[in-house]
Amino acid sequence: MTAELEYAPYELMAAAGARELKDGEIVTVGLGLPVIATFLAQRTHAPNITIIFELGVVDPEPIKVAVHGLSDPRIWYRAKVHTSFADMLGSVLHRGLVDVGFLGGLEIDAYGNLNTTLLGDPKGKFRRFTGSGGGNDVASNANRTVIIMRHEARKLNKAVSFITSPGYLRGNGERERMGLRGGPSRLITDKAIFGFDPESKRMRLESIHPKTTLEDVLSNMNFEPIVPGDVPTTEPPTAEQVRLIREEIDPDGMYAG
Amino acid sequence: MTKVATLAEAVASIPSGVHVSLSGFATARCVMAFAHEVIRQEIKELTVSQCVAGMDADILVGAGAADRIVYGGGSRGRTGQHYCLRRGIENGTLITEEFSSLSMTFRYLAGSLGLPFIPIRSLRGSDILKRLQESEPSPVSTLNDPFTGEEWLVLKPLIPDVAVVQVQVADEDGNAWILGPRWDNEEQVKASKRAIVFTERLVSTEAIRREPERTVIPGFRVSHVVHLPFSAHPTSVYKVYDFDADHIKQYADASKTPEGFQEYLDKYVYGVKDHWGYLELIGGMEYLKSLAADPVLGY
Repeated sequence: MTAELEYAPYELMAAAGARELKDGEIVTVGLGLPVIATFLAQRTHAPNITIIFELGVVDPEPIKVAVHGLSDPRIWYRAKVHTSFADMLGSVLHRGLVDVGFLGGLEIDAYGNLNTTLLGDPKGKFRRFTGSGGGNDVASNANRTVIIMRHEARKLNKAVSFITSPGYLRGNGERERMGLRGGPSRLITDKAIFGFDPESKRMRLESIHPKTTLEDVLSNMNFEPIVPGDVPTTEPPTAEQVRLIREEIDPDGMYAG
Repeated sequence: MTKVATLAEAVASIPSGVHVSLSGFATARCVMAFAHEVIRQEIKELTVSQCVAGMDADILVGAGAADRIVYGGGSRGRTGQHYCLRRGIENGTLITEEFSSLSMTFRYLAGSLGLPFIPIRSLRGSDILKRLQESEPSPVSTLNDPFTGEEWLVLKPLIPDVAVVQVQVADEDGNAWILGPRWDNEEQVKASKRAIVFTERLVSTEAIRREPERTVIPGFRVSHVVHLPFSAHPTSVYKVYDFDADHIKQYADASKTPEGFQEYLDKYVYGVKDHWGYLELIGGMEYLKSLAADPVLGY
């Protein structure tokens, strides 16, 4: 009898992120878990994906993924192309060639609208954060986006303080009427995976992670997602995926714990 | 014709109140020596612009040299927010015109091409756009595509008075190479009325002529060339030196409060005569050699 595979929540999330990528796709990646998910996909089922970083980096092979930010040259190592915003966000993303964009944020609502700008009252007292960077551009122009966030009630909110990066706005075709391409296809948290209803565009529970209950998922959100009658359990990472993350992709364990 | 100037001469060419576009991105190729000298020369009321905020914009805003920023957002990544920008935005003392990385790039690109406006698919449906539409005069509008009739958001071009750019290699005419990713630097320079180049290495024009395909900034756009080693410290210059993690942490901690930030300025900006004094203060060559980039890694 084999012992049950031990893995950390972030390893399950990275495996879930990797499953969202198909071989041959072009992916824009920010930092953190999306980098691990993308390198994991590249080392397993999607060896021919193209990875781009907005500031002008194509297909890097960094020794370390534990870096200070996109401006850290460690993440540019062994790239195939060093180029510019105009190229990456312009002639690739704006042109419509990006299949998947990874996003994260401070807050998200039931229609996948993301806030990375501020918390509080925009016209009164607020706490300022990063703003858009390329986030709004990816949300507006990628053919689909995959959002990765921690599952906390204050982050999964009824309304966001500020829409930095539009999801489906108020649903029912508003995004399409704005002339925006694509839209969010998945939200991956540390408790569950969500999709979006094809008609209403409201968030819909797709699977619940092992050792997590439906009640735990719903009580840590400030809005009600659509909950189908039968919600499956999220597929856990395989032993090989866990090995790749620990030994090859993130040996420093930057995202562990 | 030589355009080589001292740091003080190049900075003295910048009057108060102009729009300066900066080459920094978070903790890479920020024009730090330039920013320090602007603060020492008491130049005020600058508008600064860049796609993603760097430490150069943060220190200029914190020291009161710049009171307006046009940018696409940004932080220092894992070492936190740009605290001077955050304070200025939260307390309303910093006039902010906020976009996204691509919309900033497109504004510079339109400026560089001499176009009256540029259409873009970004920003629509966002609160970023709502704010820009409310500002007077608004830098955004809409227009129908004359070919398809489809409505498009259009942006006003951005034409800075001066681009200030940190590069690895330049000649005395300002022909310059930027190694590694270039983010918005090329469009910034070409949109601006002139450029000031800070270079780690000053080479002969003959050396430039032997590899002209590497030249990103042509000399005819450049007014001053400042040859100053470690002029981006504590940020990185790809293939020349790494960022100084310890000094960045010191800046990050200090800039969390106005008092701490003032102490930082008193020590590292006002407390030294010039850039050479700054380099001595942080430990001189003995310390700086530890930051030298490995030629294979680039950092």
